Amino acid sequence: MASVSVEAVRKRYGALEVVHGIDIAIPDGEFVVLVGPSGCGKSTLLRMIAGLEEISGGIVRIGERVVNEIPSKDRDIAMVFQNYALYPHMTVRENMGFSLKLRKADRDTIGERVKRASEILGLDALLDRYPKQLSGGQRQRVAMGRAIVRNPQVFLFDEPLSNLDAKLRVQMRTEIKALHQQLKTTSIYVTHDQIEAMTMADRIVVMHDGIVEQIGTPLELYDRPANLFVAGFIGSPAINLIRGTLRRDAARSWVSTDAGIDLPLNGNIIGQDGQAVVYGIRPEHLSPSDSQGLPVTVGVVEPTGASTFVYADLSGAQICGVFSERHGFNPGGKMHLMPQLDRVHLFDSATGRRLSA
Amino acid sequence: MSLRKVLVEARLMLLGVIIFVWTLIPIYHLFVMSITPRVETFAGALWPSRPTLENYETVVKQGHYYLEHFWQQLWNSAFVAVMVCVITLVIASTATFAISRLRVRGGRLVSNMALATYLIPPAFLAIPMYKVMGVYGLLNTQWSLILTMVTFASPYAIWVLKQYADKLPYELDEAARIDGASPLQIFRLIYLPLMAPSLVAIGTYALLLAWNEYLYAFLLLSADKDITLAVALGHFLTTDDAPFNVLMATGAVYALPPAAIYYVFRRYMVSGLTAGAVKS
Repeated sequence: MASVSVEAVRKRYGALEVVHGIDIAIPDGEFVVLVGPSGCGKSTLLRMIAGLEEISGGIVRIGERVVNEIPSKDRDIAMVFQNYALYPHMTVRENMGFSLKLRKADRDTIGERVKRASEILGLDALLDRYPKQLSGGQRQRVAMGRAIVRNPQVFLFDEPLSNLDAKLRVQMRTEIKALHQQLKTTSIYVTHDQIEAMTMADRIVVMHDGIVEQIGTPLELYDRPANLFVAGFIGSPAINLIRGTLRRDAARSWVSTDAGIDLPLNGNIIGQDGQAVVYGIRPEHLSPSDSQGLPVTVGVVEPTGASTFVYADLSGAQICGVFSERHGFNPGGKMHLMPQLDRVHLFDSATGRRLSA
Repeated sequence: MSLRKVLVEARLMLLGVIIFVWTLIPIYHLFVMSITPRVETFAGALWPSRPTLENYETVVKQGHYYLEHFWQQLWNSAFVAVMVCVITLVIASTATFAISRLRVRGGRLVSNMALATYLIPPAFLAIPMYKVMGVYGLLNTQWSLILTMVTFASPYAIWVLKQYADKLPYELDEAARIDGASPLQIFRLIYLPLMAPSLVAIGTYALLLAWNEYLYAFLLLSADKDITLAVALGHFLTTDDAPFNVLMATGAVYALPPAAIYYVFRRYMVSGLTAGAVKS
């Protein structure tokens, strides 16, 4: 096991730079998720750490060792690919033992390590099958088995669950997390799915357009997004973002929306009177009220059983609320939604930076 | 099944039967003449009145002037064909591995240029090739024929193999690299096994191309002990009263190895080994 450190790493394809200087320090044993929309550079970064892409600038260290010029095979890493990349002409046993065979491990060692990995992953019964005889979830497990028999310094996962159906994805998500808790190997996991990131990560790195937007624990990102992008990316249903102007006088501050509605704020705000801002409030931090808060017209009501999603109109802006109590919402009816003031996020409209303390 | 489908099926079936018969008629003639006694050679019967195997006996025992070196020539054909097959496979598999998997710069250009060599019909190159072999002192050796046939077989082999190689998921190479494989190990342990069906198909192509070659074999080899059976068969026709039934018997023997090869390797002609590598 080892720490991984990424220092000012850049990736250029000819004149086009797609990763613009990234710094991440990952301590030994941590499970880090790189998340972001497609094209944000997260897979490229992972592939640079894996040695599958050249590093155009900066330094990647695994442990104490700078690996920029070290080929993949000598980096002591294992990788799980999105499409599994199992060797189709080898059985599960051979697939899992391949890396050890290349390292000239003796047959007993290979057998023992494969056996242990297959027990951890529940693959014992499938060892003599070929990949084409396995289901998607089983192939995914074999791909992970191939990674863990190596007992590498670092696990790299490149969207390993994207090809599975929704139910299996949730199950494998838990399995991977449990596996990490058991093995405690430093892991870097790439996904575009923020739920996967939230549920699995010790720390999340949110990437966008080749830069890091924010690094933090899942709840840090959720509770204190550093900017508009992170606020919008993390959380489902997405945070409500309402444009307006920051108003403050001696006694209090509030946001006046373009439609002329005043949105309440509590004290801890950086920013000046008249500044263009974006007011953010998560759907679950709104509560129904008879007369206080935002006056909305109820649109679509979606009961899921555990909670109810309400999509409402606030003078042209779409607002979503999530409520765990069962209120009688009437589509078309008028009501008020009261934000929890200590859960309001305020962002500068021009820079996207967080303004609330 | 609807009437419409039956009609479509029937028409396809009819077409199939016509093509089948069309293909088989010459072979049938060859076979019938090969079991016909000499006196009846041109009787024109659909089946000889006294079928005989004496023509085959003549062939096997080298019992005719034209067949003095039959076994040697059969061996020559086999040797040339096998060498062409092996060398073509080595060239094509390493070339396509470099172009398609190692992604060597300019690889695409090379594979396209290789195909461009077919812009000139091989027959036009006969004289230049003869001169080249003369310069290298290879005339009248089987290596001249082998190298020539490899020259003609390789571009097509590279082209076809590249199509298949491009279809192998690149992640397999990346996974192998991370697993610790060197390029040579990837070639040997991943690429060759997965390409096996295509390699067999291409190998068969090269083998049969060389086995069936007449023009260059005729041109580059002259001693009776060096020539291939294809050229020896041609020698039958140098007189007016060629022993056609013996010629046909020799032809039938000559056609057996390719038929056997097709039969043995027919299951490799279908792909499907790569199923299950990645989710597509």
